[in-house]
Amino acid sequence: MSTSAERSFVIVDGVRTPFLKMGSDFATIDAVEQGRVVIQTLLSRTGIDPEIVDEVIFGCVSQPADAANIARVIALRAGLPQSIPAMTVHRNCASGLEALTTASDRHAAGHGEVFIVGGTENMSRIPLFFPLAAAAKFAALSRAKTAGGRAAAAIRFRPSDFAPVVGLKLGLTDPVSGMNMGETAELVARDYGISREEQDLFALSSHRKSTAGRAELAKEIIPVYLPNTSQGYVDKDNGVRENQTIEALARLRPVFEPKTGTVTAGNSSQITDGAVALLAMDEKRAESLGLEPLGRLVDYAYSGCDPRRMGLGPAFAIRKLHQRTGLRPEEADLIEINEAFAAQVLAVLKLLKSEDFSGLAIPEDRLNLLGGAIALGHPVGATGARLVLTVLKQLQSSGKKRALISLCIGGGQGGAAWLERL
Amino acid sequence: MNSETTSRLSLQIMDGIAVLTLDNAERPINLVDDAFLTELESAIGQLSTCGAKGLVILSAKAKVFLAGADLHSLGSLRGEALSAMITRGQQVFESIARLRLPTVAAIHGACLGGGLELALACRQRIASDSHSTKIGFPETQLGLLPAWGGSTRLPRLLGLPKALSLILSGKQLDAGGAKHVGLIDEIVPKERLLERAIALIQGRSSQRKTHFWTNNPLVAALIRQSSQRQLLAKTHGHYPALLTALDVVSRAGMSPQASTAASFERERNAFLELVEGDTTHQLIRLFFLQEDAKSRRYDEGVDIRSLPPTRSAAVIGAGVMGSGIAQFTAARGIPVLLADIDAARVAQGMKSVARLFDEAVRRHIFTPHEAERKRDLVAPTADPVSLRGCDLVIEAAVENLEVKKKIFADLCVRSSDRTVLATNTSALPITELAKSDGITHPERILGIHFFNPVSRMKLVEIVVTELTSPETVERALAFVRALGKTPVVVKDSPGFLVNRILMPYLVEAARLVESGVSVARIDQAMLDFGMPMGPLRLLDEIGLDVAGHVASTMTAAFGERFAIPALLDQLTSEGKIGRKSGSGFYDYDHRRETPRVFQCNQDQPGLDHIARQLADCMSHEAQLCLDEKIVADADSIDLAMVLGTGYAPFRGGPMKYQSILSERTAT
Repeated sequence: MSTSAERSFVIVDGVRTPFLKMGSDFATIDAVEQGRVVIQTLLSRTGIDPEIVDEVIFGCVSQPADAANIARVIALRAGLPQSIPAMTVHRNCASGLEALTTASDRHAAGHGEVFIVGGTENMSRIPLFFPLAAAAKFAALSRAKTAGGRAAAAIRFRPSDFAPVVGLKLGLTDPVSGMNMGETAELVARDYGISREEQDLFALSSHRKSTAGRAELAKEIIPVYLPNTSQGYVDKDNGVRENQTIEALARLRPVFEPKTGTVTAGNSSQITDGAVALLAMDEKRAESLGLEPLGRLVDYAYSGCDPRRMGLGPAFAIRKLHQRTGLRPEEADLIEINEAFAAQVLAVLKLLKSEDFSGLAIPEDRLNLLGGAIALGHPVGATGARLVLTVLKQLQSSGKKRALISLCIGGGQGGAAWLERL
Repeated sequence: MNSETTSRLSLQIMDGIAVLTLDNAERPINLVDDAFLTELESAIGQLSTCGAKGLVILSAKAKVFLAGADLHSLGSLRGEALSAMITRGQQVFESIARLRLPTVAAIHGACLGGGLELALACRQRIASDSHSTKIGFPETQLGLLPAWGGSTRLPRLLGLPKALSLILSGKQLDAGGAKHVGLIDEIVPKERLLERAIALIQGRSSQRKTHFWTNNPLVAALIRQSSQRQLLAKTHGHYPALLTALDVVSRAGMSPQASTAASFERERNAFLELVEGDTTHQLIRLFFLQEDAKSRRYDEGVDIRSLPPTRSAAVIGAGVMGSGIAQFTAARGIPVLLADIDAARVAQGMKSVARLFDEAVRRHIFTPHEAERKRDLVAPTADPVSLRGCDLVIEAAVENLEVKKKIFADLCVRSSDRTVLATNTSALPITELAKSDGITHPERILGIHFFNPVSRMKLVEIVVTELTSPETVERALAFVRALGKTPVVVKDSPGFLVNRILMPYLVEAARLVESGVSVARIDQAMLDFGMPMGPLRLLDEIGLDVAGHVASTMTAAFGERFAIPALLDQLTSEGKIGRKSGSGFYDYDHRRETPRVFQCNQDQPGLDHIARQLADCMSHEAQLCLDEKIVADADSIDLAMVLGTGYAPFRGGPMKYQSILSERTAT
């Protein structure tokens, strides 16, 4: 546990880009640029000397092929000195949270005091791949020395060789169970009897809360300057549908089980581009620098579960964290459970009311007060850090004390963390 | 291994190959002077006796291969002595060209003028990929031409068109550019130059191109004719070196068979004639002034090594000037914050920054990758962020003293006591700003006045108030030099230096229109005089509203000679305020500009007369600035006017123009 007063780990400040739907304005930039902008802005806003940073830790699920160890690329391009190391972490949908918890472990072990952590994802730019058979033929073509050899190699191509494999689809499929994330959501919907209507109502509520929470959300968001657009900058999430109706949601067709399913594009999280950066450090260091932290990371836990029901992950992580800290959800002033799918969140709420999880029921009036990924979007590598930022900013605005965040993780895991104001 | 070391170069034999290392023992750079030629001659003489299989020439200096002739020593020579020096250089380089063994110039660093002529005398050239490698013939920029064989050898190596473009533009190429035009054979990392040069000597040499299609009498004559037309249109015949170089180079290129000796003769005669001309004197003088401005101290008493360099900067105001300054600062590798009061303004600034970097890529100043990395250095912000980490802040907000006072009071709170706070104002009183409420440490406040467009204009006025500390001035000078600009220190006074001298000239031009002289005639007179743009066209460019505003501030300070004529007021009230409004002294549509016709007299004064009258306005005001000690000396005024306004360089500047005129009148 990292609650000992000596090694208290605090989050000083944080910023995020607006979250933009796949294919909109961030399709012209990439995950590196998004990450660069949030770190550069975090540095200028906090005014800290970049030299004092001990490490940069960033989460990213689909690292661009041209930016291996994307955290290092981002750190250098954001103007951090070359001497400061950087690492990329990957825990699928929780990568942004993993960045913070890894830094917290580093700090607890005495490996550094000041960290820039966060996550970035540009789902617009996840590439298409050639099938393996085509790759072999391209290799043969490039090896051919003579014109005849090249012609012979070229005629071996078939139209199917040029049908790309969609990287995004690969990324959203669990290779162990072979199930797409949406299919896992259908499975928990069946297991827990979550109806289409319940899911749609949950989605509608997400959009309504995000719409009402615009001003509060704006506190997290920085403008991103895009010289090639007419306005020249973006500073608003563009996934929130202010006029969303239950009728419109009801008209959507299920994506993963067209005839019998319940999971639609409307009651799932949106596929989105965005980045988040947090400045986290030793509490005493923050004090000596004259910085006023937003809050501290009390403790965290990750837990594994059935990959085919990965959406239930939060329930297991919350229970594990309860075992470590003794804290119950009812002690939280704010709770965020990432909305990967309405079905999955609703199933988690049901599960936490069951006997196996006695005493861990979620007070739903404190859940996702500004909406969630269904309205704002889910840039997978960044979301974990957004949840931290969102609850800390809300605690600051409301003057409340404690928050619990949690998310499900593709591949069958859950993550959870407690945060509190000092 | 056998070794011979002297004060300019050394010769070693390595594995039977002679390696000639240029390394001036007395200076940080290598230059061609008398001693250099003597030593080079003797080294070449030894080659035949030592039985070397080849010759490599390279430099031991960090940033210079051979930076050309020593202008100081060359400048001290006259007549016969100078003629002998030219002949000698030609002979020594020719003796290298005639060596019956493979020769390779291995270039790293500046290889300019005489340095390139030495390299051209070698059979092959390779160059390092370093940023300090620069290859070219800057001679025509000084009113001269390459006369140690360069004007003869270059057209034979590159073909006439490419050779002319290099010599007439004075352009300095990097290794990539030099390889592209065929000036060098290979690009090699610095550390591998010698190794590769030796390998080339041991390998087979390749065939040179003959450039038959351009270097024949007929085509060469056509090229010469069309180049001459272009040059005359561009220079109004004011730069004889260009025409002379065109002639010498074209004739050298016309017939490759023609005797080299005859071409050398033409080079020498042309050089000796040019070196006597006024134009050349002025261009060389300005060159030295500019070199001097690069290192000139403001206060010798300040220990500049103890001053913090500008490692990060901030620009307040993301308008045209602010974004231009931020972009240029980033382009020179200094991280810079670009701030304005809201995201929309910052976004406009970031658009300009992006546009300027795109332009730099188009003009081959940066590769797309370099431009992207430099662009990363600009951090946009619309929040009042802390500036404690900034070494220097430049304010480039709206030209309104009350606004600036508020901004500076706020900057004092947000920055550290050691942060230099500069304003880019072009007209407002900086002393008053430094003395206003809320200002702490006024000794770190001064003006750093860039000219528009920032990326093109070399001059920056450093405006010093009575409160500014010498340390602040030295730090500002160091910053401006780090940007590669030429600073001129001026005293805080309305209009500072350049705009003050320019303004009565512009006002007078407008008065001439009022008195019935045609717009076209006035601008033609000044173009003929050698200004890059006529005064009325320039007024349209500045904007009649802006010019009127500046002029009235200056009238208040200096009196009637700045008073704007009624015509200017009338045009402004009609909304015809220059190019931005589509009309002023000219009408602008699409890409054409037509001088407007105002009331015109039948008899128009002579062009010379107009030019004289308008040039006098500048010289008169320049003299007043000197008398008021706005600036340290007359030379600084001349340099500032040439770099800041494009004042006809061959005339040397407004002070020199006046002194030449009075000398003539006296005799």
